Amino acid sequence: MRIDVSIPSLLEDCTGGRRRFSLDAATLDEALVRLNTTYPLLRHHLYDEAEQLRQHVLLFFNDQNVARLERLDLPLRSGDRLAVLQNVSGG
Amino acid sequence: MARQVVVLAGTNKGLFIFRSDVQRRSWRVSGPHMSGWEVFSVLCLPPRAAAGLRLLAGTSHAAYGPTIRLSDDLGATWTQMPASPRFTMESGLRLKRIWQLTPGAPDELETVYAGVEEAGLFVSHDRGESWLPVDGLNGQLRAGDRQTASSGRCLHSVLVAPTRSSRMWVGVSGAGVLRTDDGGEQWVTCNACLPAPEAVHAKTGTGQYVQKLALDPRDGRTLYLQHRCGVFKSIDGADSWQPTDQGLPGSFGFPVCVAHTGEVFVAPLAGEDERYMPDGRLRLYRSGDGGDTWAPCDNGLPAYPSYVSVLRDALAVDSLDPLGVYVGTTAGELFCSSDGGDTWQALPGQYSRITVVKAWANA
Amino acid sequence: MGSRQAGLTTGAGSATANAAPSRGRVDRSDALATQIVLLIGTTKGIFTFRSNEGRRDWQMTGPHLGGWEVYSLLGDSRDGPRILAGTHHQSGGATIQVSEDFGANWRPVEEGPRFPPQREFDFQKFAWVPGESGEPRQWTMRRIWQLVPGHASQPDTFYAGCEDASLFVSHDRGETWREVDALTKHPTRPQWGPGAGGMGLHTILVDPDNARRIWVAASSVGVFRTDNGGETWVTRNKGLNRVATDGDDREVGFCAHKIALDPNASNVMYMQDHGGVNKSVDGGDTWFPIEEGLGAEGDGRFGFPICVSQCGDLYLMPLKDSEQRVMRGGKMLVYQSIDRGESWHPVAGDFLPTSSYVNVLRDGMAVDSLDPYGVYFGTSSGELFYSLDRGDSWSSLPGRFPRITTVKTWMLES
Repeated sequence: MRIDVSIPSLLEDCTGGRRRFSLDAATLDEALVRLNTTYPLLRHHLYDEAEQLRQHVLLFFNDQNVARLERLDLPLRSGDRLAVLQNVSGG
Repeated sequence: MARQVVVLAGTNKGLFIFRSDVQRRSWRVSGPHMSGWEVFSVLCLPPRAAAGLRLLAGTSHAAYGPTIRLSDDLGATWTQMPASPRFTMESGLRLKRIWQLTPGAPDELETVYAGVEEAGLFVSHDRGESWLPVDGLNGQLRAGDRQTASSGRCLHSVLVAPTRSSRMWVGVSGAGVLRTDDGGEQWVTCNACLPAPEAVHAKTGTGQYVQKLALDPRDGRTLYLQHRCGVFKSIDGADSWQPTDQGLPGSFGFPVCVAHTGEVFVAPLAGEDERYMPDGRLRLYRSGDGGDTWAPCDNGLPAYPSYVSVLRDALAVDSLDPLGVYVGTTAGELFCSSDGGDTWQALPGQYSRITVVKAWANA
Repeated sequence: MGSRQAGLTTGAGSATANAAPSRGRVDRSDALATQIVLLIGTTKGIFTFRSNEGRRDWQMTGPHLGGWEVYSLLGDSRDGPRILAGTHHQSGGATIQVSEDFGANWRPVEEGPRFPPQREFDFQKFAWVPGESGEPRQWTMRRIWQLVPGHASQPDTFYAGCEDASLFVSHDRGETWREVDALTKHPTRPQWGPGAGGMGLHTILVDPDNARRIWVAASSVGVFRTDNGGETWVTRNKGLNRVATDGDDREVGFCAHKIALDPNASNVMYMQDHGGVNKSVDGGDTWFPIEEGLGAEGDGRFGFPICVSQCGDLYLMPLKDSEQRVMRGGKMLVYQSIDRGESWHPVAGDFLPTSSYVNVLRDGMAVDSLDPYGVYFGTSSGELFYSLDRGDSWSSLPGRFPRITTVKTWMLES
């Protein structure tokens, strides 16, 4: 299943200059693995040395915070969206 | 390649590149490069063999962490290095920022060192493309951690002896000065005679408050140190330190810089709590006699109130004659002197907080 | 067109650098001739600028409290001159300090805002309870983001907005404070997640026509309103775009940056938030976008401050976008609306002949109540600008200051 992925513009140079692109996967967790293996630079900016999602980074699957999902082996459907977002912060 | 001067000014929101001829009066600016990223360290690597001038930037972001980026076309394009400095999972550390980028000794043309936060040292042997930890030092710093609070410590200064590449010094806020004489395997702490911290920090070593370290490039043995409690000098490669700030208006400051002429430049602040210029006047101090006496340099610096400061790496010199001196402030203004600090002009533009200034000339 | 420099003297009371509280003298007769004081809060203390209604020549004092970060200021002269400052220190400790002599001397207030000594907030009981010993405190007083006077009918009442998000009230001109804990106990509280800039309650608006109606806004939480003097609160975020936060509750998770009340109709309010510029005509019940002429889409409607003059002119300063929080294209640009937000246009074009990559923080812009009015703003690069002709021309107050967090205008009673 092909889904849409969006990332913050500041991380564009991790994905060949693209803020929005597609990814093929059967489940959400497969999509996350694909995302990180296809774009290792992106992985470095999303996950720290302990392989935890960085504190101010949020992953949203459609409208839901991935960190709050009970399971990640959700089958993907046409039109699903994965978004990498920055937790709202001060200037 | 034409004789030119390149000044790199990193800010908390991107990098700006200034170029001029050796007159250093009229500047072309490009930027912001890597807009939105903190740029805490920069370096120009001179052209060599078939490779042209290479720019390196240690960039970071509160949300996305740090990375090294490099440009081989004078800043037109930048590439992230996949093998940027990174701690291992086992270390339990998280690399937050890259505070310093320094070339290796003159005979090590491919070598670059990176000083990072949490305190650590990395080395590249391919002009900044891939990086390895200097385990000898990083291990020693962690051993020290068991007695001290380690959060927020940064390795801000990296100095390589010009005639002896096996000898290096680093400055670490919270650990002080360390030196190696075997190319980085073994390190000794060199804080002798530095002021002891207050009783509340008695458990820690005396190296608590080393803000910046600089090496006299002429002899590779004389060092200067800006401490929380004054400016210090060593003439024996950091075996011992003596105070050398008589005549300075204050003992608290961050940067210290030594030119190829041996002149030393500092930017003292009003106080540890009042981190702005004394009396609101932007001013540097220069010593031409190895720190025995100091004189103010402010001719041409703004006369209006300047309650600003100069961060530890935002004061730089070039290798030209007459000497060029460059300073960037927390209020985003940049100034240059092309006569060794006697007179000053503003560089064009108004920026946000300037975190690092480095100058390179190919004359 | 560049800006021109205003006349400046550093007069009596300007501090020299020392760690002790400033002990300058203030010439009383000089102070009485002053009609307007600009209070400038920075990350390294307070500066004040005094002038008469001409506002051409200014007398500067400061830095005051130079070792403190100052996020909020309030000047009040209804019963003797009084400046309150919301201060915090690198080593911790947020408190309110007061000066009764135009900034020459300062002291902490008798009892600043503080949370109860119990460590934890129990969401089942909705009360403070003792926590596990050794555990870090969950809800700490980090900063004081806003200080405003209460309703005109209550001259001794002030409000403070704090971080972690909370509202405090004083009925003795700021000497002692108590928490308006009905807000802290709002059922959405477990879902209040901080932005990385801090979960500060940065906006407090008291309805000038109704002392019991107050709006507040907190970063990454949203807008609340009370209609009974603070006893109960409701969220007022309908129509706003949510922002990415950790929390789940759809009632919160909004990031209003600044709200201003229309001076002639307190049901009308204007907001610059994380996602754009909005207006409400029903006291915040619903919001709709007002972005015609801002020349940006999506994330490009990002900015922090918004303010309104007594005749209803609106001003704001859009930044490039939320990822690059600097002026667009390196140009200092102020946008104005003279039709209650129907349309916007830039004023005065370039301020400076060279480019400017800075920003203006949410409390960094203010309008005075003289006629003609002055609009003022301070930047992250410590520069101060103002206009007395509705933005057609600008002057700068000479100097570079530490990062400016708040600009307030204080009209003195004659």
